[in-house]
Amino acid sequence: MMNGVLASLDPGPGASKRIPVSLAILALIAFACILGPIVSPHPYDRVYPDYVFANPSLEPHPTADEARTAIADIARRMGAGVASLRQGNAGLEVTLTGGRPIDAGDLRIFESSDVFAAPGIDARADAGRRLTLAIPLKKNIFLFGTDANGRDLLTRTLLAGRVSLAVGLLASFVALVVGVAYGAIAGFAGGAVDAVMMRIVEILYALPFIFFVIVLVMVFGRNFALIFVAIGAVEWLDMARLARGQTLSLKQREFVLAARALGVAPAAIIWGHILPNASGPIIAFLTLLAPRAILLESFISFLGLGVEEPLSSWGVLIADGARNIQGAIHLLIVPAAFLGATLAALQSLGQGLQQSFAAGFGGAPNRLAVPANLLAPPE
Amino acid sequence: MLWRALSRILASAATLLIVIALSFFLMRLAPGGPFDSERPLDPEIAKNLRHIYRLDLPLGRQFLVYLQSLAHGDFGPSLHWRDFSVNELFAHALPISMRLGAEAMFAALVIGAAFGVAGAAARPGWRAKLGALSVDAAAFIGVLLPPFVIAPLLQLFFGLTLHALPVGGWNDGAWQNQILPAATLALPQIAFIARLMQASLRDALKEPHMRTLRAFGLPPWRITAHALRAAMLPVVSYLGLAAANILTGSVVVETIFGIPGMGRYFVDGALGRDYTLVMGTVVVVAALVIFFNLLVDLAYGWLDPRIADAQ
Repeated sequence: MMNGVLASLDPGPGASKRIPVSLAILALIAFACILGPIVSPHPYDRVYPDYVFANPSLEPHPTADEARTAIADIARRMGAGVASLRQGNAGLEVTLTGGRPIDAGDLRIFESSDVFAAPGIDARADAGRRLTLAIPLKKNIFLFGTDANGRDLLTRTLLAGRVSLAVGLLASFVALVVGVAYGAIAGFAGGAVDAVMMRIVEILYALPFIFFVIVLVMVFGRNFALIFVAIGAVEWLDMARLARGQTLSLKQREFVLAARALGVAPAAIIWGHILPNASGPIIAFLTLLAPRAILLESFISFLGLGVEEPLSSWGVLIADGARNIQGAIHLLIVPAAFLGATLAALQSLGQGLQQSFAAGFGGAPNRLAVPANLLAPPE
Repeated sequence: MLWRALSRILASAATLLIVIALSFFLMRLAPGGPFDSERPLDPEIAKNLRHIYRLDLPLGRQFLVYLQSLAHGDFGPSLHWRDFSVNELFAHALPISMRLGAEAMFAALVIGAAFGVAGAAARPGWRAKLGALSVDAAAFIGVLLPPFVIAPLLQLFFGLTLHALPVGGWNDGAWQNQILPAATLALPQIAFIARLMQASLRDALKEPHMRTLRAFGLPPWRITAHALRAAMLPVVSYLGLAAANILTGSVVVETIFGIPGMGRYFVDGALGRDYTLVMGTVVVVAALVIFFNLLVDLAYGWLDPRIADAQ
């Protein structure tokens, strides 16, 4: 009953197209996260005080307004006023006037800002009280805007993506090792051992696991390795069920029987005969575990219990965005979009893979029974 | 049936005991104690403090003491909010979290099931297709947008833009303050329940005995009502997981909306290394989830007698 229901939950047609599409999206995100921070013109920790909360745009900064504000600001610091300001072909042509002669050394202030390069003096008048300057602009493009400290959001998001993706990958790997070992042993041993081992899984199943991850992180400190180990340590249950189911059905097959008859050790049978044949569904399920691990990490990072500065993850950035939602919504939208796209692509890839493996098994999805196990009542 | 219920209750009690033991010993593994501060305490004072909080007993004895006080419904003093016991904190927090959770669960069940039934019962055609499509889309968005993204967006739209609802706070449980948090908790569950309901009802309607009813000329709503009992099974069995999800979600939702519930205390306790508070929260939440799973389990046996008989 459950299997039938859940099999029909998966949209059937178009599934084959989902695998390449979601793989392409994932590859794109992964490449961007790995290479992006390296090739980005803005280092992730570079602070642009003049461009705090810049909105996402294709237009280079400074805009005319920003340039005017910056000039007025610098002029005030030099003790001068802006008499005229005009857009020239190389930059801005500005005339400054002061009550006393303007110190040409003060022009260095322009250079030290994020907005202007070194100005050239076109003309002096009134014994140095009136300076006409040609000020070239430093062009900066912030595709996805900047954050509260004036850091480039795109670079930060890509860098955070490295952490999120790494946690997803490593935590799934932990879950894979623990779950497959546990499930294969239970399934292969059978009998009372199997019953006790799976009973433990069912008991653990009923627990709200995020609380345990947070307790683990709180107890052992917030380091990167601990986070993915903790997540992996709570995500292995489904993998164990899947591996057990696969082992149960495979150990009836003739080649396993033959290996047994030849006196192959149980561990060698599991490693050499059962796991290779179960790898398809296991890999398919692994891609469904990864988004859950990523989500869990974002969840605890959002609460401020995840990775610590200078590392950040999408959850950290989303928390940042949630705090600044009034006025700077891009701080929430950009990391959330990256997170959402990754989750959706992984989910879709996993479901697609599951379907194709189910079809490969002679169209008997019940034998895999992966998502059904997620929902089956604890027996 | 009675036997089954009894064994389920025993298993639940055992699970709860495991949870308590697990969280207790995990906490004791933690480096750093509650009385570690910048300035080291006078050894005599530290000793006395440890004695008062019974931290000088052997570990096994400490666990027994903790179990004993739990049995009396005493979670001990909070280590962070020094003037409060964990019980006093929970006395305020638990009703708030329970209320929000119950509202979210109720909304998820009613709205989700209604959408699912509407989608499955619609006659084949564009309406049924539209229903299925929108339910799928909602479920997909539920994957894309975790509660910690939905909540700020709801705050922005309904609170800051429309000025229709408060952005946060509890305000002694005014209904305006409950809408956004409850909606954030319920939305992903609505999508999932609708999808599950729609798929299972569609399957149930395809059963041969439903065709027989149709042949008898029963009106469609009565046929649907008959199919509903079988179709409810997957939904009911999902409710246990939904309860766990809602409780988990309440951690984030209470933090975002600034609601003084269990989730909020859990996060604050974890940040402030308040062992008794965190442990108490874990025990209470686990007890709730286990209790709810037990109810679901028993309801399942009642809905589907085959399961009760098979045991």
